[in-house]
Order: sequence, then C-alpha cells, then structure tokens
Amino acid sequence: MTDTRLFILLAFALVLTIGAAAGVAPRSPDGMTVTSAFVGRVSAAVGVHVPDELKAKYRRPESIPAPSSNPLTPEKAELGKTLFFDPRLSRTGTVSCASCHNPGFDWGDGLKRGVGVTGVPLPRRTPTVLNAAWLSALMWDGRATTLEQQAALPITAEHEMGLELEEAVARVKAIEGYAPLFEAAYPGEGIRTETLLGALASFQRTLVSAEAPFDRWIDGDEAAISESAKRGFLVFNEAGRCSKCHSSWRFTDDSFHDIGLESGDIGRGQFAPPSVVIMQHAFKTPTLRDFRMSGPYMHDGSMASLDEVIDHYEDGGKKRPSLSPEMQAITLSAQERADLVAYLRTLQGPPLDVTLPRLP
Amino acid sequence: MRRSIAALAVATIATALSLSSGASAAEHTVVLHHMELDKIEGEMRVGDVVTFDNRSDMAHNLYITYSDGTVDNLDTQVPGVKRSLTLRVAGPTVIRCWIHPIIKSELVVLDRDAAADK
Repeated sequence: MTDTRLFILLAFALVLTIGAAAGVAPRSPDGMTVTSAFVGRVSAAVGVHVPDELKAKYRRPESIPAPSSNPLTPEKAELGKTLFFDPRLSRTGTVSCASCHNPGFDWGDGLKRGVGVTGVPLPRRTPTVLNAAWLSALMWDGRATTLEQQAALPITAEHEMGLELEEAVARVKAIEGYAPLFEAAYPGEGIRTETLLGALASFQRTLVSAEAPFDRWIDGDEAAISESAKRGFLVFNEAGRCSKCHSSWRFTDDSFHDIGLESGDIGRGQFAPPSVVIMQHAFKTPTLRDFRMSGPYMHDGSMASLDEVIDHYEDGGKKRPSLSPEMQAITLSAQERADLVAYLRTLQGPPLDVTLPRLP
Repeated sequence: MRRSIAALAVATIATALSLSSGASAAEHTVVLHHMELDKIEGEMRVGDVVTFDNRSDMAHNLYITYSDGTVDNLDTQVPGVKRSLTLRVAGPTVIRCWIHPIIKSELVVLDRDAAADK
C-alpha cells in the first residue's frame, strides 16, 4: 500500500471516529447513522461494538437501599408480603395490593387503567412495583417520596381500596394470626399505622427484577442477546433518544416530563404553581425493566402497541409550552425500529421466585 | 450650582446607606452537571445574585424555596443556558429541580448585615 493510500484510509477512519465520538454522524439513506450502519454491517463478521462506558451506565446495583428509619429485615418483608396479598385491607374485603400489582403481570395488572373496589376505572395505568426500592419519587405524579408514604395512598383512595388507615389497623388487630408476625418484624412496637405501612414498604423493597438477558450482556456475555438487540441498544441511546429519560439500570430518570399526549390530566402540574409551565401534563418516566411487550403503554394506557408508541416519539408529541425539551421528533428506519424492539425484549427477566403467603 | 450640590448630597447619602448595610451584593455561579448541582461554596447573603449555569445535556427547571415558604422559579433551562436570581429572604433555603426531584441542594442565606463567618 502506498503512503498516499494509507493516509487516505487513516483519514477516513479518523472521520468515522470523530463522528461517533461527537454523536453527530450523518445519516445514511436507510435512516441509520453512518456509524450505526457501519457497526451494523460489521456485526455479521465481528459483532456490534458498544463502548464499555455506555454499558456501565446500565449495570445493576449490588444491594437494596432502605431508609435508616425502617431497615430491611426478612421478618418485615414476610409480614409485608402477607399484608400485600390480604384483600381485607380494602373496604369491601375483595381487593388487595396484589390485585393490581399482580406477580403474573410483572407486578402490574396488564390493564389500560386499573380498577378497584368501586369498579370505576382509575385515571391512570397501574405501574409495576418492581425495583420500587430505588424510587425517589413515587406515583405517576410524584406525590409520595418514600415507599412508606406511598403505601397509604392506594389503601385510602376511594376507588382503589377505599379504607381508612385506622380501620385497616383495626381489622389487622382483629385477625389473631397477625400479632406474632408484627412482633417478629417490629418487636414491642405493636400493630400500628407506621408498622403496617413500614412492612408493606419493606416487602416491596424485596421485589427486584430478576437478571434479564440484557444484564448478562452488560456483564460480558456477548451471546446473551442478539446482534439486532445490540444494535437496538445503540438506537435506544442515540437515534431514538430513549435514554434521555429512560436512563440508568432501571431505565428511568425518576423525573417528570410532558411527552405530548392528548389528555386533560395535568399530572405533576397539580403540585406545581401554574407558572411552572414545564410541569403541566408531566408524568414520571416509567421503568422499562421487565417491559411487557403486550402493553398497554403510557401513563393512561392510551396506546396498545409498540408501533404506536414509536410513531408517537417519531412525531414528537403534541406541541405545547409544557412539552419536554427532550421530546424531539426522530426518524427511525424499519431496521432501527425492529432492532429497538429486539432490544426491549431483552429487558425482561424470569418471574420472581416469590412464595405466596398463607393469610392468617 | 444648587442642583449640583443637591445631587452630590443625594449620592453621598446613598453611599452612606450602602456602606451602613454591610458588604455590597456578591455574584455567585453554580454549575448544573447532569443530575446534580455543584457544591455551593462560600456565604450567600440577601441581595446576592446567583447564576445557575446548565452544563448538563438535559433541560432543568430549578426553584428556590425560602425559609418563609415563598418560592422563586427559574423557568426551564435547556443545556447551555444560564439563569440568575437575586436572593430575597434570609434563612435555610432549598434549591430543587421541578423536572428532576433528585436534584436538591440546601444552603443558609445570611442577612445582608450579618457578620462574616470566620
């Protein structure tokens, strides 16, 4: 090879490297970035290369966090599990926490909008409680900041479980088998609102997503996910802009954004002055861990298919002053869409190994 | 001549008032990195101007809650944008982001006339 040819080759490689590093690579006719397309073409021979620093952003934590005011113990988790599955914590005695946070539906309910004791459809879709231990803002509108606070909200909400906390405590006290469970979990503290809610929070902290194929790939097993899924991971982080909000190992920034859905529900806006325009129609970014490919999607369950969801993000959502600045119209090729879906499939791990409690 | 003397008198009084109210207002810059604010160094006093410099790759909307419960909102800051406010109330003060509740910083705003913390 002559020096001139070598120089041209080197210059071309340099341009590609700089383009990739700056994230401003031009797009090829099929809509993929040149760097992504390049990676995709190379994949057949040597595999998709994903930088380690990008992978590191998605590595799972080593331990479960818990507040010093309510340290996590097996006894609290066991008591909390029993309460979680007990429908007597609802006004009618027919709805438990697990009715909407059903283990078989990845701790959600698979419905467009949840239904509680009154049968009136709730205004928002039921979120999963998986990985709730790490949440810094709970509920779609962030009106609770700890799991202990949050545990009271569905119990007392008229259309969810519809029971006053005092009545819930009274009912639990009247069930003979609960006393030893409370004594084991909270020695000498008795059956009180605080111990009841603390136990529910503790059990939920133990609900941590099982290792998904994606996690094994992040840990170095290149065979854990397909080449298409690896390309989808790049789409997720680059052309698709998904990671702007669906960040971290839980695929959420625990933050609030108006993604431009048609809805009269102003979400977080209820808790902000009207002058804080950015919070109008803003809802918390949901996790994508154990993502249910069958939907429904969005805070209001308004979308039934992933195609509809991707179309929404390509469009960029309803243009209004509160629309999140992170919402920018995107264009994905058919291949990129397929890769993105293949990637999302890798986020689902096996069901949790949770033994159902025998209610006292 | 009389006008000049009057103007000089007004200026002198203004200067005297300014000196009697302690140090002049200072300017501070606090940088936003991704999901956190720079540690706030030094003392901040009522009347000081604080500029928040968004050097992250995402939009933020900071707000300050003063010790009397009143709130100043800085509006949305896309990456690269700086926004400033003048501190209004002395006492424990909290800076948070509407979009990202995980961002939180606390400081104590001093009275304009409070002695410097040695």
